[in-house]
Amino acid sequence: MGVPREKIDWCPTIDYGKCDFCMECDNFCPHRVFERREGEEKKLVVAHPENCVVFCRACAKTCGPDALSFPDKKETTAAIKRMREEAGGDEG
Amino acid sequence: MKGKSRGKVILPCNGLDKEAGTLAREMALKLAEEGAELVCPVLFQRNPARYKKELGTGELLVIDGCKTGCASKLAKDKGLKIAGRLNVTEMLKEMGIRGGKKPVPDPEHLSRLLAALGGPGEEEAEGAEEVPSGLFTAHVEMNEFMEGKFFFKVPKAGYFFNENDCWARVEGTRARLGVSDYVQQSASDMVFFEPPEIGKELEQFDDAGSLESTKTALDIISPVSGKVVAVNGELVDAPELINQDPYISAWAVEVEMADFEGDRELLMDCEAYLAYLKEKVRKENQERFG
Ligand code: SF4
Ligand code: SF4
Repeated sequence: MGVPREKIDWCPTIDYGKCDFCMECDNFCPHRVFERREGEEKKLVVAHPENCVVFCRACAKTCGPDALSFPDKKETTAAIKRMREEAGGDEG
Repeated sequence: MKGKSRGKVILPCNGLDKEAGTLAREMALKLAEEGAELVCPVLFQRNPARYKKELGTGELLVIDGCKTGCASKLAKDKGLKIAGRLNVTEMLKEMGIRGGKKPVPDPEHLSRLLAALGGPGEEEAEGAEEVPSGLFTAHVEMNEFMEGKFFFKVPKAGYFFNENDCWARVEGTRARLGVSDYVQQSASDMVFFEPPEIGKELEQFDDAGSLESTKTALDIISPVSGKVVAVNGELVDAPELINQDPYISAWAVEVEMADFEGDRELLMDCEAYLAYLKEKVRKENQERFG
């Protein structure tokens, strides 16, 4: 995207009011975004947001209780474009 | 209308977990009254051969209760070709209804679901299907590369990619969308393509239909913004085209683009995608094989 990944705000957010820790999302995603925490109250966390593929929303489909949400896509797109412009400097 | 569901084979969710499941089951029973064949998921799990005849002759309609999609998963595990699919929770959601937690079907919910089935909904796309343009006939040359034991193709020109491994093949203000060879290889055998509605307005990076393979499910994430003007009916009938020919005949959707110049800023051209993919596959191999 021409912008360092860590500057792009894109990853799932777990709604712990809904999540039942079925781990379907973690089983599904191959990018090691989630991490399991045995013995803790939040048995699953988004430990590596920067590994999440920007604009992917695939894990949300595996979530029965609808506990995963993502940032607003349009805002993210606009933010990326803005950062690119700033990085590119003013070209006339 | 007795007999209107003849020729259909229904694989419903087992339906004992929550209300949506019991509704899936009730809907299946209703369709059976109209002539459809039922596949019991539990028996089918144990003894798939029992349904060999039905599954060999009819169109398979899968009815999932909730997002867990057990019925779809079962169909995929057994390598069945899915002709159509319903998801009760999603149907209810569209009606502004939240399914109950208890496995008891609400008769009012059931009748609304059945009404939705009988109404337009299901086959309406047929009449609306616009003819795809004849623009995309040029020969496409491919670059090829090997990485470890994997062999990948990427077109040489005319395609634009996003980091979700979806492509847009651009001709004038039209684009066809699809998924790359990488997706095809990592997802393995494609069994289902659900196209978006014709006329749907897409923003850049919106879903433009979804795919399922024997291994996974994924959305086609549109590299461009615009309006869906045609969907590839051949791909609906034969999702395996993606495995055979991901870049040309397995286009999924044709779009009249709204702002290609703007969208392009966030896309990779063929050369950039080739480099991106090489690096991605190299990293994956490294992680896998050390
Ligand atoms: S959105 Fe995609 S990459 Fe990100 S966590 Fe979910 S499945 Fe993984
Ligand atoms: S799939 Fe949904 S409910 Fe299951 S662990 Fe992930 S977020 Fe929680």
